[in-house]
Amino acid sequence: MLAGAFFILVAAIGIVRFKDLYSRLHASTKAPSFGIFLIVLGVSLFFNMPIVYLKGFFIIVFVYLTAPLAAHSIVKSFKDKEKGKSTFFRNNEKQK
Amino acid sequence: MEDSVSNTVLVIAFSMLLAALVLAFARLLKGPSINDRIAAMDLIAAVVMGFVLVYSVMINKSIYFDIPVIISLISFIGTVAVSTYLKHRYG
Repeated sequence: MLAGAFFILVAAIGIVRFKDLYSRLHASTKAPSFGIFLIVLGVSLFFNMPIVYLKGFFIIVFVYLTAPLAAHSIVKSFKDKEKGKSTFFRNNEKQK
Repeated sequence: MEDSVSNTVLVIAFSMLLAALVLAFARLLKGPSINDRIAAMDLIAAVVMGFVLVYSVMINKSIYFDIPVIISLISFIGTVAVSTYLKHRYG
């Protein structure tokens, strides 16, 4: 039970840690999914019931399926913007 | 002591998640481009999932475990919808 608490602690450290090197979009996706994995592992070890293990398994599967897809679509839209057919948002950013 | 997680561990976990939320929100406010803001929103969803999980440990109810499943699915749908909209706008 206490090991679950330490897993939660490690996960929070992992979430805080990566945030400072946020200038890369890539690095922002892997660290939270690992942190969520550790948090779910710790909490399901804390409750120690079969239904909680099942739900935790679902959470981990969903997070690990959807995080690379989300990062891929973000980067893809960013590259399409870099090609730059339209200049509306670019003018908007220069004003700031 | 063996049954419940000690209080200091919960406080430390909450404070770290709060710091992560503040940093992500700062990135959301002053992101250079819209894509940074989308990534920050995705990150905020992950931090909120962590909050709900730690809170379920704190009040000792396992029914709260349903919430992060829904949050993960909805945040994925939102991220993909906004970035697809941007891609069609610039393309």
